[in-house]
This record gives sequence, structure tokens and C-alpha cells, in this order.
Amino acid sequence: MDSENLPADGAVPGTVSVVIVDDHGIFRSGLRAALGPVIRVLGEAATVEEAESVITATGPDVVLLDVHLPGGRGGGGAEVIHRCVTRGTASRFLALSVSDSAEDVVAVIRAGARGYVTKTISGPEITDAVQRIASGDAVFSPRLAGFVLDAFGTASVAVDDELDRLSARELEVMRLIARGYSYKETAKELFISVKTVETHVSAVLRKLQLSSRHELTRWATERRLL
Amino acid sequence: MRPPLLRRSDGVIAGVCAGLAVHLGIPRSWVRIGMAVLTLASGAGVLLYAWLWIFVPTAADKAAEAGRQTGPAAFMHGVDTKILHDGGAQAGRGDQRNGFADPAGAGTGGILEPDSWRERTVRAGRREVLFGTALLLAAAVFVVQLLGVQVNWGFLVPIAVVATGAALAWSQLDDVRRARVMNRAGAGRAGGALRLLAGIVLVVAGVLVALSSSGSWTLTMATLVAVLAVLAGVGLVLAPWGLKFWRDLETERAARARETERAEIAAHLHDSVLQTLALIQNRADSETDVLRLARAQERELRQWLFADPARDPGSLAERLRAMAGEIEDLYGHPVAVVAVGDAALGPAEDALAQAAREAMLNAAKHAAVAVSVYLEAGADTVEVFVRDRGDGFDPSAVPSDRLGIRESIHSRMLRHGGSSELRSDGDGTEVRLRLPRTTGSAA
Repeated sequence: MDSENLPADGAVPGTVSVVIVDDHGIFRSGLRAALGPVIRVLGEAATVEEAESVITATGPDVVLLDVHLPGGRGGGGAEVIHRCVTRGTASRFLALSVSDSAEDVVAVIRAGARGYVTKTISGPEITDAVQRIASGDAVFSPRLAGFVLDAFGTASVAVDDELDRLSARELEVMRLIARGYSYKETAKELFISVKTVETHVSAVLRKLQLSSRHELTRWATERRLL
Repeated sequence: MRPPLLRRSDGVIAGVCAGLAVHLGIPRSWVRIGMAVLTLASGAGVLLYAWLWIFVPTAADKAAEAGRQTGPAAFMHGVDTKILHDGGAQAGRGDQRNGFADPAGAGTGGILEPDSWRERTVRAGRREVLFGTALLLAAAVFVVQLLGVQVNWGFLVPIAVVATGAALAWSQLDDVRRARVMNRAGAGRAGGALRLLAGIVLVVAGVLVALSSSGSWTLTMATLVAVLAVLAGVGLVLAPWGLKFWRDLETERAARARETERAEIAAHLHDSVLQTLALIQNRADSETDVLRLARAQERELRQWLFADPARDPGSLAERLRAMAGEIEDLYGHPVAVVAVGDAALGPAEDALAQAAREAMLNAAKHAAVAVSVYLEAGADTVEVFVRDRGDGFDPSAVPSDRLGIRESIHSRMLRHGGSSELRSDGDGTEVRLRLPRTTGSAA
């Protein structure tokens, strides 16, 4: 994918700028403290409207986005992404949630988020995830990989649309991630390079966003995103 | 200060005289006698009565309107925001999912509220227009008669009477209820009007047929038709009452159900979250205790909010989650379960779960780090992977008298036609359990 053209906004090379969007002040400050020194926080927002204006005003590399947010039309994080994309933002989105429900996560991914992690994630892990998102990769937690396998099925069934199924390799990668393997460990296990793992994960993300599979459209429809 | 002019529900016809008496502060009988006397003066009393009937609201109407504008709407709004902001957004989702907040029911107050005033104004205007039209029509008929055209009074009067009756029937429903009845019946405005029209036509036809026909056989048939028609007409006219009672009953039931749900949520939060928060404050100096309490509470709340009620509680995935929770509590290391597909708990699946438990236990005990559990239930096989990122160990170096892995995991899987595999290196340890889906999985 386009990992080469990093958004350049005159910051120190290697640092990634972020905006934290979450309606809980305590969580925002906790997250701010947990992020490593290479992450620069440009701003915070607590509602859909605030998020839209802060993101478009500051143009961060990455937006850390809570799935559930007050304001707007009630669409939460997915609505923030829709609004910002409509306004031509170049920022990338990483979804954060305590939710276990597949429809929430799938809705925000289909809106354009490039990853999903749970809020119990540790400081170094979130820092790593933010850098990964900034460089154009996708971040799949074991749980998201589980959702993907649930939605696409664990067997390579024959379907007309290429977008509606995962290749055998993509299935293997998703399975390993669901089992708790990091990208590096997955690469080692499958005797492929980390770069190839990232390519597979990005391909899965694309399918997750574009596929018209029944389960995915149902999840998205429930959140009124289609 | 005079009491407001409102129609009373304890009146004889429509409560007009009773209401007027209260408003003017004179006995009811005086007002009634006054009306009767006025009626003798070319029917002015009847006209006045009809006028007041149409334009004076009942006490119930007034109260309902006031209630609509303040009470339930504000209350429900408050509750919504509270759940979404304070309780965390996930509580809101849980609500929706478990159907706690009935969107239609809860919304009724709030949704109607901003428009209700405008709607009422429009409705009142329409009512005046209708009344004026009726009066103009009557005047037109008189004028036409004065010009020498023979007006068939025997035909017009029954029509007028029936039309008035039907209109009165529908006006008994207050505005909001009428709108709801219309919506409910899927009738919309045009449909409702059509039904009313059908009622009138039937009533008129029945009356005319009954009056105008003569002769023996024809008379019987015609009378029969007439009676049926009249009954059908009356049924149509009475339908609003039936709908009204049904709707009121339903609304009340929904409100009670909501109340029960809310009480249940409050009770649950009190018993679980509040108690745990109190405990955490007491043990603030012990980090491990706090972590354990918080994690156990999180799991419990999550289970309560997101557990799929349609899901069989006796399923393999639920079993593994319960075991993971137990081990989390025991050792204080997070054990995350990801499940793809699910299987019913047969004897073989139970053995699989026990073996997985042993693996989780080992990981939490020896590796002492976070543990990942992955369940994949496919069409042919059920697989469970238990992985940790600990230091790993050399399986061949484990003394042969240690039964854990050999007995609890490997032999157990073999006995049920499955297999197990253990891999451990510097990156951690993974136990892979595999069970073909032939035994007990059909259940």
C-alpha cells in the first residue's frame, strides 16, 4: 500500500502526530500518558462534532478513535470517519473500544478505520500500533481477526466475488493473528517476510471494507452506515 | 379567578354544560335549562352546544398535552444521556441490544414533542375550516331553496345526521391518538378518510334502502341488506374506540416493562459495579487485588451486556470463556478468548474444554504472562489453541511423573479421538488441541 508517502507536517522525523477522540476525560489523559515519546498529541475531542473540527484543523497522522461517541447523528466513531473523509482528511484512523460486539467493530472498520484494538492494550503496544497505522499498515488484534474469520468463514468456499472470500494464505494469516501471534511471529511461522504479512493483512482489511458479504452488510446496516 | 373552560368527563352528553357551569360558577341545571330554552329559539341552543363541543378541550386533553411537553420527554432524554455519558457508551449499546430501551416506546414522548405545538395549531385550524365549510354548505342549500330549486330534505337530512355521527366518533380520539391509530392501521390520512367515507356510505345506503323499499320478498331481502349495511357502518364508526383502548393498554404495558427493565439495570449495577468500586477503594494499596477485582468486574459486566441470549449457555465457547475467567482470577494474568464458530458440549467437547483448561492453567502458572486462547469450530474439526509469550520450556525435560501435560491434555484428547500438540521455544508456548467433529457434535 502507500506506506512511502507519510504525511509530512514538519515534525521531527520518526514522530507521529495523533489526535485522541474519546468521551471519557480520564481515559484520554491515561492514554496520553501511556503513549511513547515518539507520539505527539495534537489535540483531544470528546464528541463527534469536536472530533471533526479538531481533526480537520490539526491534520494528525493518526486519529485514536473511540467506537462510541456522543453527538452527531448517533453514528459514533464511524460517523467521525465519514465526516472527516468527506472533508478530505489525510489522517488515518485506529479504532479503540471496550466493546465486544462485532457490529460495532465491523461498522467502524467499514467506515475506513485501518485497525482496531481494545482499550486494555498496554502503552508500548498502542505506541507500536499507532506507528504501524501511520506507515500505512493495518492493525489487527486477535479479536478483529476472529471477527473476520467469523464473517468470511474459515473455509475457502467458492463465491463469485473475489472480495467475498479470503485466499488460503490470508486465512492462515488471520488464524495466526487470532491465536495471538504478532506479525513477526506470523511471518516466521509461515516462512514469509513481515512485509508479505502486512500485504495480506491490508488485503483482508480492504475486503472487510468493500465486500458485500451478507454478514458484513448486515452489521453495517444495523449501524445505519449504508 | 375563574376556572378554565374545559369539558367535564362527568357530563351527560359531552360535558359542555357541566364544564360551562364550573367555569361560570353556577349550578349545572341552570345551564342545562338555559340551553334548552335557547334551543326553542330556532335551535340556537343546539348550535351553541355543538360549537362548544367542538372547540372546548376536555380536561384529559389538556393534561395529556401538558404532560407531553414536559414530563416523559425530558425524563427519557435525561436517562438516555446518562446511560451514554456516565455509564459508558457500551452500556448504551447493551441497552439497544437487549431491548431495554424500546426505541419506539421511549421515543414517543421525545419525538412528538417538538412538533406537537405546531401540529395542534394546524389541527385546530383545520377543525375551524371544516366547521365553516359545513355552515357554508348549509347556507348554500338554503339559498338554492330560496331560488326555487326543490331540495330533497328527506335525502339530505339523513346524510347530514350520519356524517355528523361519524365525525363525532372520530373526534372522540384526541389528536395524538388519532395520528397513532392512523399510523398503526397503516391507513395514513387518505386511508382514514376513505374508511370514514365508506362508513357513511354504508349507513346512508342502509337507511335509504330500509325506508324506500316495499313489497314482501323484496322487502325482506332489502331489510336484510339494510341491517347488514347498518351493522357494518356502525362497526366502522365504533372501530376507533376499540383501537383506542387497545393502544392505551399497549402503551401502559410498554411503560411498565420499561420501568421493570430500568429497575433491573439499577439493581444489577448496584450489586456488581458499585460493590466492586467500594471494594477497590478499600484495597487501593494492593495493586494485585485492585487489578483482579477490576478484571473480574469487567468480565462480569461484559458478560451481562454483550452475552448473546440466543447463544446456548452450554456451548464450548461459553465454557472456555468461563474457564478463562476463573484462571484470570486465580493467577491475575489476562486470559483472552477469541472464538470463531461454536460447538455444543458433548462428552468429547467437554474433554477438549478440560484439556484446554489445563493448558491455560499451565500457561498462567509457569509462563506468568498474558494468555491467548483461540477456538475454531469448523464443519469437520474443532480446534483450540492456547498460547503464551513466556520463556518456554523443553517438553522432553519435564519429569515423567508430572502428569499435567501427559495425562490431562494428551491422553485425554486421545481417549476422545482427538490429538494434541505442544510447541515451546524462546517465543513462548503453544498447546494445540484438535477434535474431529463426529462424536457428540451432532447434538
